[in-house]
Amino acid sequence: MGKSSETQQGKHKWESDMEKAVQRFPERKKQFHTSSEIDINALYTPEELKTQAYEEKLGYPGQYPYTRGIQPTMYRSRYWTMRQYAGFGSADETNKRFRYLLDQGQTGLSVAFDLPTQIGYDSDDPMAEGEVGKVGVAIDSLKDMEVLFDQIPLNEVSTSMTINAPASILLAMYIAVGEKQRVKPEELTGTIQNDILKEYIARGTYIYPPKPSMRLITDIFAYCQENLPKFNTISISGYHIREAGSTAVQEVAFTIANGMAYVDAAIEAGLKVDQFAPRLAFFFNAHNQFFEEAAKFRAARRIWAKIMKEHYKAENPKSWKMRFHTQTGGSTLTAQQPDNNIVRVTLQALAAIMGGTQSLHTNSRDEALALPTEESARIALRTQQIIAQESGVADTIDPLGGSYYVESLTNQVEEQVNEYLKRIKDMGGAVQAVEEGYMQREIHQTAYDAQKRIESKEEIIVGLNEYQLDEEINPDLLRVDEQLEANQIQRTKQVRSTREEVKVNQCLEALRNAADTNENVMPHIVSAVKAYATVGEIANVLRDEFGEYTAM
Amino acid sequence: MKPIRVLIAKPGLDGHDRGALIIAQALRDHGMEVIYTGLRQSPVQIARAAVQEDVDVVGLSSLSGAHKSLFPKVVEALAAEQASDIPVIGGGVIPAEDIPFLEKKGVTKIFTSGSPTDAIAVYIKQMMNLETRVEPKRIAHIGIAVESLEGALPFYQNTLGLTLEAVEEVESEKVRVAFFSVGDSRIELLEPISDDSPIHHFISKKGQGIHHIALEVDDIRQRLQQYKEEGVNLLHEGPKQGAHQSEIAFIHPKAAHGVLYELCQPKQED
Repeated sequence: MGKSSETQQGKHKWESDMEKAVQRFPERKKQFHTSSEIDINALYTPEELKTQAYEEKLGYPGQYPYTRGIQPTMYRSRYWTMRQYAGFGSADETNKRFRYLLDQGQTGLSVAFDLPTQIGYDSDDPMAEGEVGKVGVAIDSLKDMEVLFDQIPLNEVSTSMTINAPASILLAMYIAVGEKQRVKPEELTGTIQNDILKEYIARGTYIYPPKPSMRLITDIFAYCQENLPKFNTISISGYHIREAGSTAVQEVAFTIANGMAYVDAAIEAGLKVDQFAPRLAFFFNAHNQFFEEAAKFRAARRIWAKIMKEHYKAENPKSWKMRFHTQTGGSTLTAQQPDNNIVRVTLQALAAIMGGTQSLHTNSRDEALALPTEESARIALRTQQIIAQESGVADTIDPLGGSYYVESLTNQVEEQVNEYLKRIKDMGGAVQAVEEGYMQREIHQTAYDAQKRIESKEEIIVGLNEYQLDEEINPDLLRVDEQLEANQIQRTKQVRSTREEVKVNQCLEALRNAADTNENVMPHIVSAVKAYATVGEIANVLRDEFGEYTAM
Repeated sequence: MKPIRVLIAKPGLDGHDRGALIIAQALRDHGMEVIYTGLRQSPVQIARAAVQEDVDVVGLSSLSGAHKSLFPKVVEALAAEQASDIPVIGGGVIPAEDIPFLEKKGVTKIFTSGSPTDAIAVYIKQMMNLETRVEPKRIAHIGIAVESLEGALPFYQNTLGLTLEAVEEVESEKVRVAFFSVGDSRIELLEPISDDSPIHHFISKKGQGIHHIALEVDDIRQRLQQYKEEGVNLLHEGPKQGAHQSEIAFIHPKAAHGVLYELCQPKQED
């Protein structure tokens, strides 16, 4: 009797045993499925992978198609970068939090800007009222940026900045701070998010319409390729798409569709794919469904590698590799019994590590209530350190590789993503799909269905719709000083009154002229920030030239 | 009935609109007309939209921590538009300790993270129903369960000195009823005539005593419809036929802090 027929016999016996057992102990659900509606079988066996060609589908770490990871050693050489997103209030306060996190063993910085900064308003703009310093640090001029990075050597840390519509302005400020520290632009490492398409889809900090926004992005690509070769020029983000309510499959599909739109735009702007593609980075979410999440990351890498190699004909292997940052899922956290969130974050972080992430932010337990306190932020960082140092999960590469279930899920995620990509391509690409509101509608429908499942208790969220407490304990929360807005306005007025006004105006006019033609705007923005032109002043010049986007 | 109109608005610069969109859709599913302003609305823009769209209620959403300055500004802007009668409710990432402050500033209600959409819809309906709700007219009667009429009559007739009006048998409820009038109101003694009578169950569980209070209302059908919308637990949905061709209905004691209330509307005199 051959080995495979023995397996067959065993499987048949199990199937009939199972059928009998289910009569007495019915299954918990009629149908089990993942967040992306992928059906889950009771058992996965070698049969699922029978037609799977190992080299083609999986390969080896650091080799095409990178299913098992983008580096040959993965975490055996170096753990992922522990990069906690932080920022609130003034530049001084955030500088203190940054230095605290670096002291505690964090290995990279990640700046959260407040909403006025992210939407190109100075703190004294009427539109900024009430929002200054609330969800991140308020940056109006180079002065604030100098304070933000005081005593932090920019040639030693890598900095990620969550900044999109005004990405060129904040990047210019970073370059200028580096120069003041005598760090050359080519030594700077880090990432700007710079992903405008997902702002229209899910996150909402857009300023200009899609076309000029895409042009700002390709200007940055071109400028960085010459001047900041080690800087990631974009972080194509599924994170916020997922937070807005998408499934795992939609997250990957819409992100990759957006990524293709940026590649297309850069090629159209005259860049060669291998010149800019190695500096493209990605940013994903990690939610609770552990295996689907791990499979999602593995599938995403394989899909992107294929697209870059086969569709765009990139030749440099660096162009094929999807490098990504992961953040645990903010929308999965509950305001009820907030300490339970530590457990959720641990599971999500583990899924991201199983998925081979390059860097990771773990959310703090109190983020459904407010920005994290120092204690909560420390526990979140410790969670990563415990996984890294104590669990042993980082000691071999892609430990889930070869799991019948995970490989099967990886294949199914890939198939479903490809279906979406085809649909978006048929619509004319991601920019077109965004303008028509296609992705927005898909995400909203998924979010609404999920809410209904929670309200009907089809889906259980511990502490929210089951196992509730009668009396919630209110934890101590971080409060942003209400006086901060007035202080920040004062500081910016001070900057305006001490700078060389003529020079500022010259720089802004030069920027206006460049925006009006095809000239790259980046060098002009760098000059303007060095003259202490503010974020709002620079963004307003571009508002005049490009117009503003209003959502449907 | 005219549908309830709701304005869902995002004040300030916050771009998180998952919650706002879900609530807009959930309220539509509850039969309301919902206008969503989109992102980045100033308090004045929101108040003007509320007036122009002639809405009954404004719902604000903020997840950026700006609620303490922006929500009260919307209330003020509505007052400036002579529209203080439009209630403002809100939600988002709002720490519990901020709620008293917001309520003091005129925000009617805050729904924090995790609130079911149905609860929000019910709250809005309740608020709107309240405007049309008429006070019950009087206590029509108090129903008292007794083991036997004969045993109880001497106390009511002699000790209290009430006059017995009538004794009736109500076959549907399997009870015999004795009526005494007291001013505008009555006392009803209920005696079970069968072991499957609800009064028999009541006495064997709780002993003799007050069984229900009946309130006379003018609007029993509309009231029951509203209660249904608000999720008030009723013993039966539509009104039943009561004595003297009146229409009656019972509210579940669980919804009324342990008291069984009967609503009754006497036959309309033509």
